[in-house]
Amino acid sequence: MTRLVWAHFKAEVLGAIRVPGFVIPTMVFPSMFFLLFAVPYLKTWPAANQTTASFMAFAVFGVIFFQYAVGAAEERQNPWYAYLRTLPLPPLVRPLAQVLAGLLLALTAALVVAATAWATTPLKPEAASPLGLLAALALGAVPLGLLGLAVAYLFPPRAALPVANLLYLPLSYLGGLWMPPEALPAWAQKASLWTPTRHWAELLWASARGEAWPPASLAALSAYALIFAALAAWAWRRER
Amino acid sequence: MPLAETRAVSKAFGPVQALDRVSLELAPGQVLALLGPNGAGKTTLVKVLLGLLKPDRGEARIFGQDPTRPGARRGLGATPQESGFPPTLRVREVLALVRAHYPEPEDARELLQRFGLAPLARRLASGLSGGERRRLSLALAFAGRPALVVLDEPTAGLDVAARRALWREIKGFRDRGGGVLLTTHDLNEADALADRVAILHRGRLLAVDRPEAIRQRVGLKKIRFRAPRLPELPGVARVEREGGRFVLLAADADRVVTLLVRSGVPFSQLEVQPVGLEEAFLAITGEGS
Repeated sequence: MTRLVWAHFKAEVLGAIRVPGFVIPTMVFPSMFFLLFAVPYLKTWPAANQTTASFMAFAVFGVIFFQYAVGAAEERQNPWYAYLRTLPLPPLVRPLAQVLAGLLLALTAALVVAATAWATTPLKPEAASPLGLLAALALGAVPLGLLGLAVAYLFPPRAALPVANLLYLPLSYLGGLWMPPEALPAWAQKASLWTPTRHWAELLWASARGEAWPPASLAALSAYALIFAALAAWAWRRER
Repeated sequence: MPLAETRAVSKAFGPVQALDRVSLELAPGQVLALLGPNGAGKTTLVKVLLGLLKPDRGEARIFGQDPTRPGARRGLGATPQESGFPPTLRVREVLALVRAHYPEPEDARELLQRFGLAPLARRLASGLSGGERRRLSLALAFAGRPALVVLDEPTAGLDVAARRALWREIKGFRDRGGGVLLTTHDLNEADALADRVAILHRGRLLAVDRPEAIRQRVGLKKIRFRAPRLPELPGVARVEREGGRFVLLAADADRVVTLLVRSGVPFSQLEVQPVGLEEAFLAITGEGS
């Protein structure tokens, strides 16, 4: 069982990291955007901590969202996955391997951002709660991974990638992952409060200051997880 | 206990009855060829036995168990459609992934050797040619040291040498006690490989028999000639008119032509052609025209 999870985990990770179209946008772009657009404005440690946390979320968002939105769409049309179902493969092995692979890749992407911030900003890691930060990153990956799955089953496979981009970029912007919400135009500040990414960011910013998570945002993020799970399940069933 | 069996399996896709009460058995040490034209239901039957589809009615069993249970498939080997290998995995990585599912898989190096893949072990699956993909897909069917292999159109698109090599592989596997279910629409292939041939047509099983007997039934020839009248000719399955010519379908064309000559009826423009499987089915089942 463990051996089988490991085999599928390895295949998932190798399958992902050999695709330049996956590695560059997910591992390199977040740090590059961070260097270009954030670093020049981060003069104090609270600003550095908050924005680093935002870009770590942006990195995790990219990995998880595209892994599920594009990956599941790919699985729908590739006969290889029908073949895997003819192997003596217990049903939970692949999903488990995919979650583990997603976590490893997402964590790597987030650590690349953290390392970039460490080298270029007045970051104060000892003021943050690392466990809270990690837990918040993982927690936010749940609703956004589910949203990715919903996209994969709602749209035809060829449309999954463009649709994913249409959600990924606006949700990152409105959620305040690129710049603090105060810096957004007034309309965007209003819209921000309705995005899952904003509530995710609120948890991260609290942990970046070493504070407890705001309960309202935790509740909102959980609600989004339920909504997206229902949407993904409905779309999946419709597809059958 | 049969390696694989179906009992009155029916499966419909919307209005199309893909399988209609199909009952089959495959014993160890046997090659069973499912023969039928495209759309006959061969692939649906294969999918039912692989656990990919549940029958609407009836039962499918492999090793006495429900094939949709992962544990039942431990002794089963199947071929993936070669259009779909994970593009960024190398040949040996694809093989390693599949081997990991079995308690006692074949030795990887030996398997690559047997299927002529040893020089390609480090190649990405996306960089393989059509024939190489086909060979990898067949190697995967044998990777888990199966007792039963199910091969959907195994030799379609293979060149003559590769086809012969695969036939040898299948016969060797059978002689060691393995059971093989393969689909084909090539009567010659069924003839060369199978111990028993099952004919599937529009979802129904028309016959299950030894290949010689099947050849008698569907290995028809078409005999065309022009003549003022048609003499009495035994052994003719079907007679048609085509313009001014007679068209006869018969299993033993040589004998029919001999009788035609002996009958003394003058004839001209004699042609003898093999009949496609589809047409032969229509002749036997009395459907069509």
